[in-house]
Amino acid sequence: MTLLLSPALARAIQSKGEAAYPEEGAGLILGRIDGERRQALQLLPLPNRSPEASRRRRYSFDPRDLLQAEVEAERLGLEILGVYHSHPDHPARPSETDLELALPWYCYVITSVERGRAGESAAWRLADDHSRFEAYAIDMLTPGG
Amino acid sequence: MPLVRVPTPLRPYTDGQKDVEVSGQTVGGALEALTERFPALRTHLFDEAGALRSFVHVFLGEQDVRELHGEATELQANDRLLIVPSIAGGSTAARPVDHSALRANQAMIIALLGAAYVADVSWLAAFVGAVMLFGSALGRPGFLDVYRLLRAVRVLRPDVYRDHPEPHRFAQALGGLVLAGATAAFLTGLPGAGWILTWIVIALAGLNLFGGFCAGCAVYYWMARLKLPGFTQSPPDGVLPGRRPIQRA
Repeated sequence: MTLLLSPALARAIQSKGEAAYPEEGAGLILGRIDGERRQALQLLPLPNRSPEASRRRRYSFDPRDLLQAEVEAERLGLEILGVYHSHPDHPARPSETDLELALPWYCYVITSVERGRAGESAAWRLADDHSRFEAYAIDMLTPGG
Repeated sequence: MPLVRVPTPLRPYTDGQKDVEVSGQTVGGALEALTERFPALRTHLFDEAGALRSFVHVFLGEQDVRELHGEATELQANDRLLIVPSIAGGSTAARPVDHSALRANQAMIIALLGAAYVADVSWLAAFVGAVMLFGSALGRPGFLDVYRLLRAVRVLRPDVYRDHPEPHRFAQALGGLVLAGATAAFLTGLPGAGWILTWIVIALAGLNLFGGFCAGCAVYYWMARLKLPGFTQSPPDGVLPGRRPIQRA
């Protein structure tokens, strides 16, 4: 599985993580499905609806916001490919919480934000047996490519 | 016939179909028809008791069917249902923390500092402070080896909770710093101030050991609430800052 991500979108994911710091920032990745490849075309930031006290280590979306996202994706003729979220002062690896709450198929892009500055971003998907995450290749497209 | 919109993560179970036409007069009937046609979908939508899973939302237009009549909500022929699974995650979950090791550490701190006061041996207080600071630097209780020994001879047994180790590490460092202050007082000819600081550490370690309240952890969580850099954890779910966690690992 490969996620095609333009440098501009990769940078946008990173700056959204920085903007949300020290809380977790998250949103959806919209795009097109092309067999085993998924091409990210647009980000849809969503409010983090976790209780304020836990927003530095949790994110969750309101089902109504997700409904609106589905409607917006349909309007744009795109699909929801996955989720991006930041890990403030934690590595860009899925946590136990991520594993417990993960959905199959989605591509999860996690960005580590250390002291307000975005570091590594990595993409993951839930393994078929739901026991762990598998790394997902990110293919950085060159502009126009 | 009503239409069900299947979200992308569930499409592997519907042969990749995005919109599925189903028969059914109600939401429950429509979902039943859907899972009859695609049996692999069933465990993703319903629990063992046959109820819609709490993290699965079904919308009829703008409304969650749970706010209507649930699965009994009636459908018109041209209605469309949207299945919306919840999305959530986070950077850390509480990790297993052996509170038996923490309590053995507190007991050692109290015993040695008490002995230092009784025997009037100020360097022993300085030694305990150094062990605490050294332990915090390594991210473990300073007297961990004593606990390991007592566990090996089966005097103590692990007592593991889902918790965060960082606040305990911070609390121990705070205690070590107070003892460093006490040492400075002893060295500058202020033994009274030195012993007051030592007794503060004894009292707070005692409060933790006997009262189950970690004052240093509470300070850590308050710092986190003030969004200070480096203080990233919040108390485990349902636990007040500084109190012992509820959930055993």
